[in-house]
Amino acid sequence: MNFVLKVGVSALAMAVASSAAYADDSFWKEAAKPYQDVTLRGVTESTPPSNYIREVLAPEFEELTGIRVDIETTSWDQMYDKAIKDMEAGTGIYDMIYIEQDIVYSYLSRDFLTDTTKLLADNPSLKAPTYSENNFTTFANYFRGENDHLYGIPMEAFIKIYLYRTDLFNDPDIKAAFKDQTGRDLVPATTHAEYAEIAQFFTTWGKDHDMDLWGTTAQAHTGHPASWYEFFESIAPTFGIYNWGIDANNNYAASVANGGAMNSAEAKEAMKWWLSMRDIAPPESNASTWTEVGTTFGAGRAAQGLVYGENAGWIAADETKSLVVGNVGVALPPLQDGILDEVEGGTGYIGYYDGGAFGIPATSKSQEAAMLFLQYIGQDQVQPDWAVAAPRVTNKTTYDDPKVQAMNDELGGYYDLLRDKGYLFAGAPAYPFHAQVREATAPILYEILTGDLGPEEGLDQMAAKAESELTDLGYRK
Amino acid sequence: MQSNKLGWILLAPTLVILFFFGVLPFLYVVFVSFHQWNPFAASPEMIFNGAENFRRIVFDDAFLNSLGVTAAFVVFAVFSELIIGYLLAQAFMKEFPGKSLFRTIHTLPLIMAPIIVGSVWKLMTTPSIGIIPHYLDEWFGITMNIGTSAPVAFMTIVIMDIWHWTPLVTLTLIAALVSLPRDPFEQAQIDGANKAQTFWHITLPMITPAVVATVFIRLMDAMRTVDEVWMLTGGGPGSSTRFLGVHIFKEVFPKTNYGYGSTISVIVLYLTIVVCWLLYVSMLAPRKNRKG
Repeated sequence: MNFVLKVGVSALAMAVASSAAYADDSFWKEAAKPYQDVTLRGVTESTPPSNYIREVLAPEFEELTGIRVDIETTSWDQMYDKAIKDMEAGTGIYDMIYIEQDIVYSYLSRDFLTDTTKLLADNPSLKAPTYSENNFTTFANYFRGENDHLYGIPMEAFIKIYLYRTDLFNDPDIKAAFKDQTGRDLVPATTHAEYAEIAQFFTTWGKDHDMDLWGTTAQAHTGHPASWYEFFESIAPTFGIYNWGIDANNNYAASVANGGAMNSAEAKEAMKWWLSMRDIAPPESNASTWTEVGTTFGAGRAAQGLVYGENAGWIAADETKSLVVGNVGVALPPLQDGILDEVEGGTGYIGYYDGGAFGIPATSKSQEAAMLFLQYIGQDQVQPDWAVAAPRVTNKTTYDDPKVQAMNDELGGYYDLLRDKGYLFAGAPAYPFHAQVREATAPILYEILTGDLGPEEGLDQMAAKAESELTDLGYRK
Repeated sequence: MQSNKLGWILLAPTLVILFFFGVLPFLYVVFVSFHQWNPFAASPEMIFNGAENFRRIVFDDAFLNSLGVTAAFVVFAVFSELIIGYLLAQAFMKEFPGKSLFRTIHTLPLIMAPIIVGSVWKLMTTPSIGIIPHYLDEWFGITMNIGTSAPVAFMTIVIMDIWHWTPLVTLTLIAALVSLPRDPFEQAQIDGANKAQTFWHITLPMITPAVVATVFIRLMDAMRTVDEVWMLTGGGPGSSTRFLGVHIFKEVFPKTNYGYGSTISVIVLYLTIVVCWLLYVSMLAPRKNRKG
């Protein structure tokens, strides 16, 4: 190609790019004209992806459109409290709310949310040329109603993964000691037995070498629902207990006697295994929620553990917060024999596919302006930087972006795992009574954790309590 | 007549605010307490169920457990705050080097929001990384794990509450002690009364109104404690620190059990009034009898 041709092609490419950018900008400016006096108010949990919206995307949108956006980031409890009260009372304070995947069914059952597919179909002038529901990964399906319409724009999606310390797993002395002790190579576990063996090895290693090092993490708070989630969403499925052991197709049975699995032999085995791991985890595990588990791993106090993907980014790459930067590997959670085949065959899942969306309350007074903002954060163009700042992927093209691929290397292949194995994970079951059953049974789980109740007796009580709560709520007949 | 009118006009804004933000919500809670209402139930509407919620509460183990731990907490915390607060107030009545600095530092916890107090104590007590378990282990070989030991969690909350609220008691009692006339004490000294007799027969009767007011304030606060406990233990381990406030919060917000949660709130309000009345009678009645 000669020089003149190169210059010509470059000029043409720049002209096309700039005109496309202008077209995009002109759409936002034009569409936003009727809403110049609007201030959008959103409430969400204070997490890295939400903070990115508040600090980066909202100001960008404000500058582009002139529509003011106030994003309130608060604690998980407060976020629900505020959003539910607002929607229940119909006050219309919030125009956008965070919908965690596990609450969407409750919201849909109460018609709390605006149908975004219909809103755009009814208002074609609002439809951004750069926004399409087809851009989202299959995670968006969790936010579809029975009419297959989208009720929330996905803003974060990640899996709870098995993180391990590559520096420890590759240390020649440690590898040799492990081989001597167990007769096998030190590699990430694929079964519970292997995981337990590695955990015990590292806890002993830490003790023997006067290190603040333990073999596993445990999200085992004795007064916070985080422990309930760890058991039912991360541990129980790896033993073949799905949907919390409640059978929605069998009159919401939870106990084995009625056809459920919450107190099945597999559930009891899972509980005993989890408790045995908790016992060799760092002492703070009894007071750890998902946040503290990430902190424990980032502080270099655990050799391996199940950690929410939203924390993987800073653990692996943020030197200001983490002591294990560059030393983090990812793998699938350890499983009982046969579970992987079962899940690949279409039954169940091996772990938690967590995440959330931004939705518009039906009570919002500025639904059209809010829809513009939600389209803005749902565009492919804004995703790569967002995914780098906070490891979450909601759009298909994000995986291929060079920045994301570079981050993928830093994260030990986390994004590859999410893309290639994400289908093995699942969100919370489609129950409208999510928090109610959790809160009814959680006190019993806490008693199991404190040792006041045995795991077998405790799970029997939990199954009975779940059924009585579902009866009180009118779901179980 | 004129002054009556002016008085009502001046009071009107306060009464209006009190009506809308105090009386109306209270009446609404009473109304809801006679209903079965969970917006995420199969039937999300409010259904009148008479006194069923009130009947249920009597047999509710979780509520009764909360009532028990709250009562224990109130007794331990308020009694300790009263004793320590009085001793500190007496100390501040005397002159000693660094008194002003010490009094300022001693008062600082009062200006902290309860949720911040809970956060700070959580940081200080987190097993293995908190400063308190660390030094207990290093200096005394004591393992402190707030996540596993119910008595440790309970006592930590009592100590946190004492740390947070004793300054209020101290300040109130200082105000009471400062305002006492000197004559009775001088007379007692002349009559040869010892310190215990002076305290029991002169100081205590004269500061009783202040003590009663302080106890009422602290008792009502302690019975509805939520923030610090929520932050520090979340009500755990198990249900060992699930005080009434935390229990109501969990019932009303995460479980969205608005009807039953309102019933518990009404019962707790009733119990608080009864306890305060009993205290009032027991602490002030003997004084009135003496007068009579």
